[in-house]
Amino acid sequence: MDGCRSGVPTYEGDLHVVAAAHHIVKALGATKNLSDDLRKILIDLDSHLSMITSNIDSKGGRGLVDVEERLDQAERKIMRWETDPMMIWDSGPKEASDYLEAVDETGKLVDGLRGLSVHENRKQKEILHRAMNILQTAMSRLEEELIHILVRHGQQFEPKNMYSRSIRKDIVYDESFVSVEDEPTKETSSQNCSNNESGECIVDLVHADVIPDIKSIAKVMFTSNYGPEFCEAFISVQKEALEQYFSFLGTENLSIEDVLKMEWTCLSSKMNKWTWSMKIIVRVYLASEKQLCDQVLGGLGSVSSYCFLEISKATILCLLNFGEAVAMGPHRPEKLLRLLDMYETLADLLRDIDTLFSEEAGSFIQLQFHELLERLGESAIAAFKAFRVAISSNRSLYPFAGGGVHPLNKYVMNYIRMFPEYCSTLNLLLKNQHPGVADQVTKPDYGPDTSLLTSCPMAYHLRSITSCLESNLHKKSQLYKDEALQHIFLMNNIHYLVQKVKGSELRLFFGDEWIRKHNAMFQQHAMNYERATWSSVVSFLKDNNPGSSSMSKSTFKERCKGFSIAFEEVYKTQTRWSIPDPQLREDLRISTSLKVVLAYRTFLGRNLAYTDDKCVKHTVEHVENSLLDLFGGSSRSLRNSCRW
Amino acid sequence: MPATDYQASFLGRISIRRNQVIAMDGNHEQELQDLELFSKHVSERFAELLSSPDDVPFDALLSISWLRKLLDFFLCCEAEFKGILMMGNDPSQISKPPLDRLIPEFLDRSVKALDVCNAVTNGLESVRHYQKLAEIVVSALEQKPIGDGQSRRAKKALTSLMSAMNVDDKECSAAKATERSWSFSRRGVSSKDRVPEHFRSVSNQVAKNWSAAKQIQAMTNNLVPPRGAEGSGLASPVYTMNVIMVFVMWALVAAIPCQERNGLSAIHFPAPKQLNWAQSIIGLHEKIGEEWKKKEKKGTAGLLDEMQKMEKLGNILMDFTDSFQFHGDITGQKAEEAAAHAAELAETCRRMEEGLLPLQMQIREVFHRIVKTRTELLNALDQVGKSPPPLL
Repeated sequence: MDGCRSGVPTYEGDLHVVAAAHHIVKALGATKNLSDDLRKILIDLDSHLSMITSNIDSKGGRGLVDVEERLDQAERKIMRWETDPMMIWDSGPKEASDYLEAVDETGKLVDGLRGLSVHENRKQKEILHRAMNILQTAMSRLEEELIHILVRHGQQFEPKNMYSRSIRKDIVYDESFVSVEDEPTKETSSQNCSNNESGECIVDLVHADVIPDIKSIAKVMFTSNYGPEFCEAFISVQKEALEQYFSFLGTENLSIEDVLKMEWTCLSSKMNKWTWSMKIIVRVYLASEKQLCDQVLGGLGSVSSYCFLEISKATILCLLNFGEAVAMGPHRPEKLLRLLDMYETLADLLRDIDTLFSEEAGSFIQLQFHELLERLGESAIAAFKAFRVAISSNRSLYPFAGGGVHPLNKYVMNYIRMFPEYCSTLNLLLKNQHPGVADQVTKPDYGPDTSLLTSCPMAYHLRSITSCLESNLHKKSQLYKDEALQHIFLMNNIHYLVQKVKGSELRLFFGDEWIRKHNAMFQQHAMNYERATWSSVVSFLKDNNPGSSSMSKSTFKERCKGFSIAFEEVYKTQTRWSIPDPQLREDLRISTSLKVVLAYRTFLGRNLAYTDDKCVKHTVEHVENSLLDLFGGSSRSLRNSCRW
Repeated sequence: MPATDYQASFLGRISIRRNQVIAMDGNHEQELQDLELFSKHVSERFAELLSSPDDVPFDALLSISWLRKLLDFFLCCEAEFKGILMMGNDPSQISKPPLDRLIPEFLDRSVKALDVCNAVTNGLESVRHYQKLAEIVVSALEQKPIGDGQSRRAKKALTSLMSAMNVDDKECSAAKATERSWSFSRRGVSSKDRVPEHFRSVSNQVAKNWSAAKQIQAMTNNLVPPRGAEGSGLASPVYTMNVIMVFVMWALVAAIPCQERNGLSAIHFPAPKQLNWAQSIIGLHEKIGEEWKKKEKKGTAGLLDEMQKMEKLGNILMDFTDSFQFHGDITGQKAEEAAAHAAELAETCRRMEEGLLPLQMQIREVFHRIVKTRTELLNALDQVGKSPPPLL
């Protein structure tokens, strides 16, 4: 524009040149597909040329009079609204466009007058000041209108429809084993929306109908160099809307100290909520906000991304801080799954974040996200390690009554049953983590189709965890004085382990070989139990002289008595023991039955002559039936209840 | 009172000790040297901060660049401190008295410092907002000659600026401030240039009812210099680092608008004058404390040098725009003065533009560093043999 400040032309020729130039500028200005920058230049030029023309025609000040008239007209249109209680854009499109036209006209006049050397002409200067004063009034008004439009047409959206609230599992793993029931988990998927491309979740934060209005206000304010005021107003309304939405989601600001002190159940639900809000805020709200900024401020260079950053920064930092606080907290084993949820959510959102904050100014936010992701990963690994440590260091002072499935076993197996869902993340995080020293992991050696899963890092770690668990269970079994009960305990627990693996996706990671080996293991314990309990009992029934046909009566009597006492003793003790799994209990009874009942029947059969004697305390049927009472978990006695 | 007697310097005491423990192994000797070096560096760094000339605007006390230097020094001291603590010959020391008590206390303070970092980061967002408003003022007043329109434009931005600074200073409860609704009160305000009322956003809060002053007060709890034999061991760098951390956080809160700062000047932390390294910190504490007391009387938003300038210039320019509207056209000396003030404001804005973002990033760096050290110390404590908490 400075180039035009060459003064006012003085003769006819110039007048024609100016007129011609003006004509060309007007024609150019009418073309579509102009970049906004270029259009602005043309507009400037246009008003400038018209000013020169009016100045030229005016020899005696006629041009200024013309300018004044135009200004008067614009002023009337602008000032009229200053006393009107209605908002312009609420009054109708005609009113709005009239107003914009008047503002535009004023802006042109200001530009034109400025282009002239105003110092020399007092009148000109006066008009310029007046025009700028009117412009200021109009700009102030536009700012107000803008805020009004944004607030009035701002739209809330329901988060419920966006992402299902059910995050993969809502079982809360608190520290107490008791609450962990052996119930089938409902595998509810939360992947409803997360697989969508980010484009599919965009909503209109401001009603689509008013976008052109906002754009036109932006245009005229930026043209008149009131861009900063526009941004100020736009940012403050949108920032507040985001904050309101944020608290509408039920997320509150928490200090790091608060988070660190929070008890687990509360923290767990906050972590869940964070995962959920993070997705909605980034993938829906911010994506939509970004679109709004681009729609409104698209052609204005970095203004759009500047506004977007200012609107979103505080909320984003708030979310990030909670993540930092969680990652810093004590690495308790029960935190692992929630941490993995957070990690996966963040990893999943990274691409969106990188797109949303791609400009240089946003790199700060990008960086914070990447750092938090790393931190959450470290924290998850630490929790994973803590889980292992907790398993191997879990100590009991007293043997677990009845020899059933130990709570530790239940807890661990129910917990790791969730791991396959986090398979890829865990593999990524555990890639460089060695399972540890006390690791007797069987090298998998199976078919090509299973080998991938059984040899992934997570599989190694899973097997390492169960081997930790097994060795701890072995230690716990040593607390029983009764060798038979040690075997019952181990049988129960290893059986439970195998069932848990077989009944879930875990089997793919443990592999058939592992299952076979562990099946054999609990069967071995069953056999050991039988040997430990029944060998001595059955030994009463053994014939010491296989050659002779029968024993003496007194020997028979003695043997019979010995058997009865031993059997009653076993009955009394082992009805108290427990085998929670009905199938396993059944199997063991059958195999015991086979051994004991058969031996008893043979024994009695061989000594039929004495069997009506009082010394035969129990019939075969009675022994057989009594065996059914074993492992029921409550102590019984044969002497009181079943007397013949 | 002879200097060598009562006010024996920290360094002096160390060398006395050294003579006493001469029989000890070389490692201990090395450790003593490290401690000596550490306190020497601390002393030098804070002396440099204290000697910052007030008249050179760029490096003035509590200016952006001064704060950046302060944070730089914090990071340096922190790194050295960690070195002494962790690279030491005997890692199990940290689990023995008195460190078994001092380290957890230090970690506690670290966590509190993190929340202060966040509060300050939020505060810097407010300062950036002031900067944007001030830039509008500058661009309105830069135009020549100044007419009624620009003067009104400047006044409007100034009013927003001053009220924003005021709100941030009022420590008002954020809950009340957010109940503002844009939609009403727009019309019916008779002023020609309506100024949207400033609100304090929720996201600028650390947490509900959180108070920066109380937080710092809590950081000073139990902060006592090591006594007797402890003074020669690792207890003394832990104490030094504690004081540095509390001081840095305190200075940040004094400089930058933060949630709840009432009672900040009442905070004392006992740093005994006879400790060499502490003298400059005490000096700075006194100096800034004085400023803060003045502030409490005057009601400024924060001691950040650039903000104080902004406020001063803002008041002057506000008077100018007022008189402009009253008298109409102003020319001559008054206009020139106003132009000079606007130029000064522009310069302040420029310095903010250059410095605020890096300062914010540096605070984040401090944040991450504190987190990292905390994690490392916790891990070290873990390894030294504390068995992990049982699963049950």
